[in-house]
Amino acid sequence: MPHLDIDGAVKRYGGKTVLHGIDLALGQGEFVSLLGPSGCGKTTLLRIVAGFELPDGGRVVLAGNDITDLPAARRNMGMVFQAYSLFPNMTAEENVRFGLKVRRETPAAQQARAAELLALVGLAEHARKYPHQLSGGQQQRVALARALAIRPALLLLDEPLSALDAKVRVQLRDEIRRIQQETGVTTLFVTHDQEEALSISDRVVVMQEGRIAQAGTPAEIYGEPANIFVARFVGAAAELRGRVRDAEAGLVELCGRVVPAARARGLATGAAVHVLLRPETVRLGPPGAAEALLEGVVASRVFFGALTSIRIEVDGGFSLAAAMPSAEAGAVAQGSRVSLWWDGEAPRVLAAE
Amino acid sequence: MKGAAGRLLPEAWLGLLFLYFFVPLLATGAFSLWEGGSRYGFAAYVALFHQPKLWQSLFLSVRLAVETILLGLIVLVPAVFWLNLRVPRLRPVFDFISVLPFVVPPIALVAGMTALYTGPDWLVGTPNYLVIPYVILALPYTYRALDLGMRVLDLRTMTEASQSLGAGWGTLIFRVVVPNLTTALVGAALLTIAIVMGEFTFANILLFNTFAVYINYVGQTSATQASALTLLSFLITWLAMLGVLVSGRGGRSVQIGGAR
Repeated sequence: MPHLDIDGAVKRYGGKTVLHGIDLALGQGEFVSLLGPSGCGKTTLLRIVAGFELPDGGRVVLAGNDITDLPAARRNMGMVFQAYSLFPNMTAEENVRFGLKVRRETPAAQQARAAELLALVGLAEHARKYPHQLSGGQQQRVALARALAIRPALLLLDEPLSALDAKVRVQLRDEIRRIQQETGVTTLFVTHDQEEALSISDRVVVMQEGRIAQAGTPAEIYGEPANIFVARFVGAAAELRGRVRDAEAGLVELCGRVVPAARARGLATGAAVHVLLRPETVRLGPPGAAEALLEGVVASRVFFGALTSIRIEVDGGFSLAAAMPSAEAGAVAQGSRVSLWWDGEAPRVLAAE
Repeated sequence: MKGAAGRLLPEAWLGLLFLYFFVPLLATGAFSLWEGGSRYGFAAYVALFHQPKLWQSLFLSVRLAVETILLGLIVLVPAVFWLNLRVPRLRPVFDFISVLPFVVPPIALVAGMTALYTGPDWLVGTPNYLVIPYVILALPYTYRALDLGMRVLDLRTMTEASQSLGAGWGTLIFRVVVPNLTTALVGAALLTIAIVMGEFTFANILLFNTFAVYINYVGQTSATQASALTLLSFLITWLAMLGVLVSGRGGRSVQIGGAR
């Protein structure tokens, strides 16, 4: 039995349907991310689970109990918000104790639990500070400690990292995952940042216009996008239009050349397809290399530290990016001609709509 | 030279402002000490303080101020809370209503109230009746102070955070919202005191002997005592305004950071 079961959740605002019957189940201790662009319905779904919005259809079942109509205050869910949500009149410790006070736990129990949680998020020495004396990252850690202090049945994270700067984001992201694994709390995480979702989750649910576009492990979402939307949204990929030349042999025609694409098997020969190539799967070599599938000209190079992204104008009018270790990228000069190839298993082939 | 002149100019302006505001007060103060001929003393103050009617009117006004503050806050805290939390689209309507007391002259209001002079005895036959127009008079200031305080607080996130932790509405309002609105509440209360202590029209027409009415009465019977009383009322109002400033300064840390 799933720990959280969202069954056919529908939400409408005025005449507009923002959730079209979402079905989603979370196992005990699972970390699931809802990923999607603004307006895809991910936050609305989270707010329905939290009890801040009532669905117009469907049910929310937690540990076997239907909580669809239960007020938020009685759901026992810890939540960390996008905006800083610590109570300004209380210290970090008082914030963490708030939920326990509401539950009428003894002061000694409150104090012990607050100390434990503040130590867990690495802020034991900041217990007596007020929110305005803490940095943004520290405030979100306290908010996390406060949400966990009540031993929630479910932890809800509503883009808790989006107000933080890049370095703190990554630190806190890793820490959220560590803490989640240590506490084993079932977690639903909302984000529009695919890197965040892929790096932190057991399972990623990509949402598009109020529907689930694909749900799967981060590797599945990245490597096997179910449709062109997911492929475009998650990770960078060159999108080339082609046609299946020989479905059985796994060959497609791209830019006038026949190239291997094993995943074309199963499609109809002659069908129009999108061929998706992740930059890290594209190999480059000098013109006329034995493995060459296509040739082109290096249009630009962008240095990203460990990797360099090289954009190539492929003969035939396409453009695609290749990522290679910066140490090797020095040999590929801008404006030079190169040949390209890839492993036959690498390209994702999707039937064109 | 130019720099020195530049520095002097604001000081000169301050000096002029000081003269403009304080010369009339100093003159009033000097006149309140005049005992006829060339004698000066505290006779007017002594006579004034020995009049039971002064204290009765002062206490009445203070009581009305307290009642006005209580009624105003009881009505407005939940209303402004709800406005900010649930119906922010109604803000223009609230803003409009809140400035009505500036537009409708008190004399029109009191005429309306006289026409509606019905209700239970404890309300209509007593000065308590004045609390109703006083709440209306103080509405612009109370509403603004509370609205500003709640906007700074990000009420929606605070509400949802406390609800997710299991808190009901009572806990939310008394442990989260009100403690973070200290500045706004104190500001609203002190402004209300300043308004009620100086309000004349309603009390005079409805025939209640409040502090302002008493000042007017004394002004018609004893000029020096009236000057003394004027200074006294100035003092009360200033103390209230000073309280607003001090609480505003101390309260900023409450709003953004928390009580210390």
